[in-house]
Amino acid sequence: MISFTDEQRLLATTVREALAATCPPDAVRAAGADPAARRGKAWQALGEVGLLGAHVPEEHGGLGLRPMDTVLAFEETGRAAVPGPIVETAVAAPPVLGVVDAAAGWPAKIAAGRAAVSVRTRDVPFLLDADIADLLVVECGGGAALTSPQAAGLVRRASADRTRRLYEEAARAAAGAGSAAGADAEAVRAAFAYAFDHAALAVAAQLLGAARHLLDAAVAHAKRRQQFGRPIGSFQAVKHLLADVAVGVEFAAPVVYGAATTLGAGAPGASGDVSAAKVAAAAAAYRAARAALQVHGAIGYTEELDLHLWLARVWALRTAWGDDRLHRARLRDALLGPAG
Amino acid sequence: MELGFTERQREFRAEVGDWLAAHVPAEPLPSMDTADGFERHREWERTLAGARLSAVSWPERYGGRGVGLIEWLIFEEEYWGAGAPGRVSQNGIFLLGPALMAYGTEEQRRRWLPRMARADDIWAQAWSEPEAGSDLAALRATARRDGGGWRLTGQKTWSSRAAFADWGFGLFRSDPAAERHRGLTYFLFPLDAPGVTVRPVAQLDGETGFAEIFFDDVYVPADQVLGGVGAGWRVAMATTGSERGMTLRSPGRFMATADRLLALAGGSADQALRDAAVQARLDAEAYRLHAFRAAERDAPDAEASLMKVFWSELDLRMHETAMELLGPRAAAEPWFDGFLFALAGPIYAGTNEIQRTIIAERFLGLPR
Repeated sequence: MISFTDEQRLLATTVREALAATCPPDAVRAAGADPAARRGKAWQALGEVGLLGAHVPEEHGGLGLRPMDTVLAFEETGRAAVPGPIVETAVAAPPVLGVVDAAAGWPAKIAAGRAAVSVRTRDVPFLLDADIADLLVVECGGGAALTSPQAAGLVRRASADRTRRLYEEAARAAAGAGSAAGADAEAVRAAFAYAFDHAALAVAAQLLGAARHLLDAAVAHAKRRQQFGRPIGSFQAVKHLLADVAVGVEFAAPVVYGAATTLGAGAPGASGDVSAAKVAAAAAAYRAARAALQVHGAIGYTEELDLHLWLARVWALRTAWGDDRLHRARLRDALLGPAG
Repeated sequence: MELGFTERQREFRAEVGDWLAAHVPAEPLPSMDTADGFERHREWERTLAGARLSAVSWPERYGGRGVGLIEWLIFEEEYWGAGAPGRVSQNGIFLLGPALMAYGTEEQRRRWLPRMARADDIWAQAWSEPEAGSDLAALRATARRDGGGWRLTGQKTWSSRAAFADWGFGLFRSDPAAERHRGLTYFLFPLDAPGVTVRPVAQLDGETGFAEIFFDDVYVPADQVLGGVGAGWRVAMATTGSERGMTLRSPGRFMATADRLLALAGGSADQALRDAAVQARLDAEAYRLHAFRAAERDAPDAEASLMKVFWSELDLRMHETAMELLGPRAAAEPWFDGFLFALAGPIYAGTNEIQRTIIAERFLGLPR
């Protein structure tokens, strides 16, 4: 059933406290201007509490955890809008490197908090934060390309969120280039599919966390802001708008947690469950962002308030690790079969 | 999604599923809002009760099986998945039952619960009045002391099942000096008592699912007060929590509807409608997962309002999608009856406008 252990809750609380100390809104804001800020104190703190190595096997110094163990912790990274390639490094890279990286020891470096990795599967168009990564892992043709950012010839692309820089390689790597020799093509394909599902789930958790923050921020503003001599949160139109956000968040959360359970158990249909989680969390977060902006009014439409950091994050995460169209198509195929 | 059920839970599911496969009527029963259909549904309730399946979560001494909420949710999934008849005993078993369990004396529980489980008594709720709908605390019907008992006077309305039911339950103002939610008492009364007049009211489908109940100095003995004189609001609120939350509308019902909708959409080439069906299935699954989580912890009362908004709007969206898929042939299909029923969802058990205000004030803490 879907319930969390004390240990799972403790990891989330630890992450939340670490981020409260290291990732105030100013730190998120700084990541928009200063490249190094994406691997600043918060990144270091997440390494120290073990989240970056949570999905690295124990023999490489990680914690060897499953999605249900970390889903609440990733929710906290969304709540704090932590910058940096956290999902890519902690979730997407380890399973692929476990198959193609026999000798270089990247998993151990990730677990030690010493490596940032950017990852792209065939369904992911951009490399997130490739400029500050130590390693790029790209699915191409039937294999994996492992390159350094310097060798890839990175071209920056527009991002909805300035704290998340997106890149493409100048010349897309050829199949198998740079990948460890002898890696079985089917195993590599399966590792990328595994990475995609686990990363999409982690991003769904981040969207859920961002949605919770946006709801809290909108409620706090609605209590504080006075118009017509009353707090605007006493007006029914505002109440009902925020009630709908609460409904969206409350019913997205169990879908995300349920997918964490089935994905960790390797249940048949778990990929469809991940798509359900991503679609539900993205919808809840988008609705929260939209309502939070409306409730804040003009001040919310500025960079002076911190609200925009979470708005931009939601817009960006909505299309990260599969946009709605991709995940809806996977759901359609799972539930209805191919269109007749 | 696959949830990790225990061996015992899987056995329970299999037993319920097997029993239903052997006993669910092959043909749908006539509408429970007709005289004949009502009695046919009562017979079905007795068949269920014979297998101790009419109220599985109740203690065995009252006719249940004493199983937990998880097993009850499993029962509901099997029940609606099997296409079993609607529950004519619904209001008694799911609204009054929990209130009797929480606030009744042991004597009262033994008097009414086993009869309720066997459908010997079918109960109707009597909350609303002509001037007290969403604003229930504005109710005016009175209870006046008369010797050891009470005299009820006034009018209740929109009373579901009351046209054919045996007993009713509702709130009456027992302290004329008190205002609003104070001075109210929760009474149980037979609908054939002298002075009670029931006037059936036809609903959108033309059948008498509603009734008005008129009370003209109706005598009720003191042992038909539930939860103490003046405690009516508290008892009723415990009941409305059940009504709004999952005990009235379990996820099994919506999962069954979503699966039927997927089957319907599978035959359509319309991409928008196929997507709407997929979204409906996702939402029904969300409600299901939420319910299984809520069953494992103590959910706050305001969560019942979140659930009520979610399930009622989901149910309506699903039936609207079915109407679109069926087009001009829709009215000939059982989906149309479901559509009419779903339209009532955002109104009964507290309108969704009231629920959203409760969510905003009690769940989010916004100012009144």
